[in-house]
Amino acid sequence: MSSVQLALIGLAALIGLLVIRIPVAIAMLTVGIFGYVALSGFDPVLDYMKTAAFWQFASYEFSVIPMFLLMGEFASRSGLSRSLFGAANVFLGHRRGGVAMAAVGGCGAFGAICGSSLATAGTMARVAIPELERYRYSGSLATGALAAGGTLGILIPPSVALIIYAIAVQANIVQMFQAALIPGILGLVGYLAAISIWVHFFPESGPVGARASTAERLQALIETWPTILLFVVVIGGIYFGIFDPTEGAAVGAFGAGVLAFWKGRLDLGGLVSCIKDAAKITGMIFLILLGAGFLNIFMALTGVADQLSQLAANSGLNPYLILILLLLVYLLLGCLMDSLAMIFLTIPIFWPIMAGLDFGMPEADLKMWFGIVTLIVVEAGLITPPVGINVLIINHHAPNVPMRDTFRGVTPFLLSGLVRVALLILIPPITLFLPHLLL
Amino acid sequence: MKGFSKQLHKLSSVFAIAGGTTLIILITLVVTSIIGRAVFSRPVPGDFEIVAVGTAISVFLFLPYCYLQRGNVAVDIFISRMPSWVQRAMDILAAVLFGFIAGLFAWRTVYGFSDTFNNEDISMILGFPLWLAYPFGIASFMLLSVSCFYTAIAALREPDNE
Repeated sequence: MSSVQLALIGLAALIGLLVIRIPVAIAMLTVGIFGYVALSGFDPVLDYMKTAAFWQFASYEFSVIPMFLLMGEFASRSGLSRSLFGAANVFLGHRRGGVAMAAVGGCGAFGAICGSSLATAGTMARVAIPELERYRYSGSLATGALAAGGTLGILIPPSVALIIYAIAVQANIVQMFQAALIPGILGLVGYLAAISIWVHFFPESGPVGARASTAERLQALIETWPTILLFVVVIGGIYFGIFDPTEGAAVGAFGAGVLAFWKGRLDLGGLVSCIKDAAKITGMIFLILLGAGFLNIFMALTGVADQLSQLAANSGLNPYLILILLLLVYLLLGCLMDSLAMIFLTIPIFWPIMAGLDFGMPEADLKMWFGIVTLIVVEAGLITPPVGINVLIINHHAPNVPMRDTFRGVTPFLLSGLVRVALLILIPPITLFLPHLLL
Repeated sequence: MKGFSKQLHKLSSVFAIAGGTTLIILITLVVTSIIGRAVFSRPVPGDFEIVAVGTAISVFLFLPYCYLQRGNVAVDIFISRMPSWVQRAMDILAAVLFGFIAGLFAWRTVYGFSDTFNNEDISMILGFPLWLAYPFGIASFMLLSVSCFYTAIAALREPDNE
C-alpha cells in the first residue's frame, strides 16, 4: 500500500470518527497514533510518546492561549460589557436602528479585549437584549445583530482563533494580529451599514431611542477609559514590538483581573469560576494541539501534503477558483463544527494547497491574507444554520424570540460578510497594508 | 458509584484550580519581568523557561476537569438525530477510546519522567530540572483515564441517569 493511500484511509477514518461524535482531539490522536505506527512501527511511537505531551505543552509561544482566555474571563466578569454598550448607545441610540448599532459596536469593542466570539455574544446579549426590548426593536434585528456582532471578536485581536491559525501555519503571531485589525474594523463598519440598510427598508423594526445629553456622553466615555487603556496597552504594545504576544497576554490578563477586582466583581468564588472556565477551554485546545501534533507527523511521513501541493499547482485551475472552493468547504464545515477544531483539522491539508498556488505574493503575505479571509468565512459558520453556536447562545438570552427569526435576522450580516470577503480577496493590500507598514 | 463520581469531580476541580493558580503565578512573573525591564532595566532572567514549563504544568492539570465538564468538542450533528441507545453506545465508545489513549500517555509519561530524571535534563538558562513537570502529567493523565473509564461504566450501568 502506498503512503498516499494510507493517508487517504487515515483521513476517511478521521471523518468516520468525527461523524460518530468522537471528540475531535480523540479522533485526531487515534488516527495520528495508528498512522504513525503503521508507517514507523511501535517502538518509535512509544518512544516519542514519553515526552510528546510535555514538549507540546511546554511552549512559551502557546502560553498566550491560556493567558488570553483568562483575560477574557476576567473581562466578562468585570461588567465592562455594560459600560461599553452604554457608551456606544449614548452616541448611536438616537438614530434609527441605533440601539442595535450600539450592540454591534459594543460587541466589537468587547471582542477587542475578549477574543472569544461565544463569550462576546453571551455577555453582550445579557446587557443589550433588555435595552433592545425596551425600545421595541424587532426580535430578528435584535438577536441577529448580537449573534453577528459576537463574531467580530474572531478577527479583532487578541483573538484565540487567530493565534491557533498562526500556530497551525507557523506564521508570525504579531503580524497576524496586525493583518487582522483593518479587516476587523471593516467588519464592524459593514455590520453597521447592514443595520442602516435594514431599518431604511423596515423602519418599524428599529425605532429611534433617546437622545443623550453631552454630559451623559462625557460620563459614558469616562466610564470606558480603563477598557480602552487596556486594549491600547496590550495591542499597541504587541503591534509596536514593546511586548511579545505572551507578555501582552500576561499584561492583559493581569490588567483585566485588577479591573474586575477594582469594580468589586472578583471575589474568591469569582476567581475560581474564571479559572475553571479558562481551564475548560484551555484543556480542549491543548488536547487538540496534541492530537494535531500526532496527525501532522503521520501526514508528513506519508508526504501527502507535497503531493496535494503539486497536484494543486499542476492542475491548471485558476488559483482564485481553488481559493473559493476551499472557502466554500470552510463555510460548509463551519456550520457543523467548532471553529478552533476546524482550523486545526483543515489547515495541515489546505495550507499546502494554497502554498503551491501562485497568487503573486510572498509566502508570509499569503499566510496572512489566506488566514484572514478564512477566519471571516469560519466566523460566518457561527451564525449559519443548522448549528450556529452564536445563535443558540443569543436564543438562550432572548427566549421569546423564535430561533427562526434569529436565523432570518443574521442574513443581512452574512451578506455584509460576503461583501467583505470579496473585497479582501480582490484587494489584498487591505489586509497586508498594516503589517507591511509596521514591519 | 455516586460517591466515587463526586470524588472524581472534586479532584478534577482541585487539579484545575491548582493549574489556574500556576497560570496566575506565571502571569504575575511575566508582568514583574516587564516592569523590571522597563524601570530597572533588569528583567527576571530566564522567565520564558519558567513560563514554558509552568504552562505545561497548568495544561496538564486542566485536562481532567475539561473532560469531566464535557469540554472536549465533538461534531454533534448526525448522532444527535439517532435513537438514544445509539447515542449512548457512541458516548461509551468515545469514553473507552479516550480512556485508553489517556492511559497510554500516563504509562509513557512515566518513562518520560525516568528518562528526563536519569539524563538530568535541565533548562538552558536557569538550569532547573525539566522532570519537575512530569509528575503533574502522570497524575493528570491517570485521573483523566480513570474519569473516562468511570464515565463509560456509569453510562453502561445507569442508562437512565445519562
